[in-house]
Amino acid sequence: MTERPLVRMTGIGKRFGGVHACRDIDLTVRAGEVHALLGENGAGKSTLINILSGVITEYDGAIEVEGRPVSFGGPADAQRAGIATIHQELDLVAGLSIAENMFLGREPRTRLGTVDTRRMRRQATEHLRTLGADLDPRRLVGSLRVGEQQLVEIGRALSLDARVLIMDEPTAALADAEVERLFATIAELRRAGVGIVYISHRMAEIEVVADRVTVLRNGGVAGTVDPKTATRDDIIQLMVGRSVDALYGEGRNEPGEVLLDVRGLAVTPRRPTPGRTEPAGVDLTVRSGEIVGLAGLMGAGRTELLETLFGAGGSGRRDGEVTVDGRPYRPHGPRSALARGVAFVPEDRRGAGLMLEHSVSDNVVLSALSSLTTFGLVRRQALRRTVAGQLSALAVKAASPAVATATLSGGNQQKIVFAKQLLTRPRLLLLDEPTRGVDIGAKAEIYRLLHQLADTGMAILLASSELPELLSICDRVVVLHRGRTVAALPRASATQQAILAAANGDDVKEAR
Amino acid sequence: MNSPNPTAVAEAPPETPPRRRPIRLPRDRHAIVDSFFRFQSLFGLVAVFVIAIAVSPVRNGENVFLSSGNLANIVRAVSEIGIIAVGMTFVILIGGIDLSVGAVLGLAAVGSATLMVDSGLGILPTVLIVLFIGTAFGATQGAIVARIGIQSFIVTLAGLQAARGIARMWSGGLGIPIAYGDGPQEAPEAFSMLSGSINGVLPVPALLFLAIGVGALLVLRTTAFARHVYAIGGNEKAARLSGVPVRRVRIAVFAISGLLAALAGIIHAGQLNQGSPNDGAGYELDAIAAVVIGGTSLAGGSGSMGGTIAGALLLGILNNILALNNIDANVQLVVKGLVIVAAAALQKLRPRIA
Repeated sequence: MTERPLVRMTGIGKRFGGVHACRDIDLTVRAGEVHALLGENGAGKSTLINILSGVITEYDGAIEVEGRPVSFGGPADAQRAGIATIHQELDLVAGLSIAENMFLGREPRTRLGTVDTRRMRRQATEHLRTLGADLDPRRLVGSLRVGEQQLVEIGRALSLDARVLIMDEPTAALADAEVERLFATIAELRRAGVGIVYISHRMAEIEVVADRVTVLRNGGVAGTVDPKTATRDDIIQLMVGRSVDALYGEGRNEPGEVLLDVRGLAVTPRRPTPGRTEPAGVDLTVRSGEIVGLAGLMGAGRTELLETLFGAGGSGRRDGEVTVDGRPYRPHGPRSALARGVAFVPEDRRGAGLMLEHSVSDNVVLSALSSLTTFGLVRRQALRRTVAGQLSALAVKAASPAVATATLSGGNQQKIVFAKQLLTRPRLLLLDEPTRGVDIGAKAEIYRLLHQLADTGMAILLASSELPELLSICDRVVVLHRGRTVAALPRASATQQAILAAANGDDVKEAR
Repeated sequence: MNSPNPTAVAEAPPETPPRRRPIRLPRDRHAIVDSFFRFQSLFGLVAVFVIAIAVSPVRNGENVFLSSGNLANIVRAVSEIGIIAVGMTFVILIGGIDLSVGAVLGLAAVGSATLMVDSGLGILPTVLIVLFIGTAFGATQGAIVARIGIQSFIVTLAGLQAARGIARMWSGGLGIPIAYGDGPQEAPEAFSMLSGSINGVLPVPALLFLAIGVGALLVLRTTAFARHVYAIGGNEKAARLSGVPVRRVRIAVFAISGLLAALAGIIHAGQLNQGSPNDGAGYELDAIAAVVIGGTSLAGGSGSMGGTIAGALLLGILNNILALNNIDANVQLVVKGLVIVAAAALQKLRPRIA
């Protein structure tokens, strides 16, 4: 070892009850390196990170920061030692400005004891510049995009003189263009000698950004590899302990009748919401048995389109024609959409998909209660049977249908959202980022499920920020740009470049 | 496909076939702890009951607290708050609050007295009209909450003022005494039944409270409506996207609360033989206290009707035993405050299923 690492964790172990969340883990972070941490959900990543960031204070093993043994009494201690964490759910106050967020709790003071706003803004601007971000520090954080908010968090970490930055799935909520920018920021940080612990589910990213990859499995280290020499298959094999050849699945059958037909759909909201891009000229069709992808940059209006199709968008005037099964379709709410056989799996699983504190069973049956009741009374037998059937059909791993949904892993939670929507027997399934925050094993299962559903004649419209995902599982990819469809690329001609070009509005091909 | 068995990922044990009656005994310590917290108010009720027996004064060798007359009185005394608390439970379960119930009770008491004494209506039309007024009042508040999206705290705070105002205008600002008889300005004799008892043992208001409590308990346990209520409190957005008729359920919940507040007002008029526009002042807070002691979360989504009933009875016993021991009414208030905090604190201690 030529250089003393910034952080050295040795023999880290942690037990929750009888379960080893971490077992004898060694991890080092050197200055100026990006050390990626990979592993399926439940492999021990979060526990390890929580130990390093001072959230968990009782554990086995030892941590050294720049050669000095440390023991953190809480996250504040870790921060003082130069370890900052950028959580997946950002810790920002939406109602405060960028500068106020950066200096929250340690605002610079004037001699009179009031907040020195000018100094605060100046320093905030400096930190943002270091990151290559040109943002007005007076802007409210709530008005920023997720990618920009992330920059604010990183800026805050810098203002704390962080030497080690833990990034927990930093790209999960970012569109491709913003990912590029984040990577540029990471390169900048690396040059400044910051050590980065980078957690992500996305292989392609890790190949680009990481210097070393440590794979965790079942609470232990499965291996540490160099991403430049290791192949993707090697890494996946380390993660799941077996090879996942058919991650995406193959072999599609012929699509059938047109199930969803959208022509010139445009929504003029009664009160425009900043940050929302309503449909502004959308043409697309989805046939029965077909999986159609919806691509576009962040803010292109993918989510808004799906919400509009589900009757869950904002209120306002709606132009254009939409038919489902050849009949005019104008849902005035999720209820009427479901009644027409249209189901929706929202992007924000925790916020909009599930009642996390409620049982798995309560969640699964919520949409289909009417089919399980007689005169408003719930038929318990039927309910129990239905839930058990759905859980085994989707291979949900849950201790029992009575456990709180929050106890399930991300992938299994997503399966619960699917189970709930599928119970309504939809003909058209609208999916918004269905594999976000889901580990690779569960991803493969979801892809398989989608293929099975399409084989039964279901029409699927799937929005995703992951181009490889769209390219591999979709029969066609429709590209949105500023609320308009700008391209519809069949599987054969869809390439990453073609989609990106269309999404950036470069090369506007007509959709039909 | 290379992997021989695609479902090999699922290493979960095979589904056990659903048993006819799954008897769930708390097997480990965790389950026991959890059921303690789930039934905390019941334990609390038993504890307070036992303490009450212990500290009760004894007269002529008889435990005063345990005398059937005293026990009946306790249930009678909490019946109005209890009935309101039942409605409040629904509202709190969807994550709302109803501050108007005390005022609606006053409005209903005034309405009962006025309609029978001044308008000369019979019992049935009076009761129906008053219940309708309460329901409509609640539903209107619910509609404002659901349609315009104003927080229920504000809407029902406004409703509280409005209901008091209407009651005062209706009654001319004075209490309207109810005299019984067949003449003009007299109410039908049967209305006084509300202050009586069945077989001289079970007070009629107590019976109504228990019947409504049990009915509501069954509703919460068995109906799709109840699942919608819990779902809205648990995650409103998810509920809406799942096809739950969120607005309709909201309005219904406030209507139920208004209906039950009006019923409590009728009982109030019957017990006191008068209807005054100031009746029921502060009852909303007692009802909320009963719900909180019952373990229902003010954030919505979790709680039980059994808890609320137990919470109301617990408050009743507490008041009763303090009064039996001639403890100052102001001290009673302080004790009540402590019990509420203790109940809420216990809920905080509840281990979250990790």
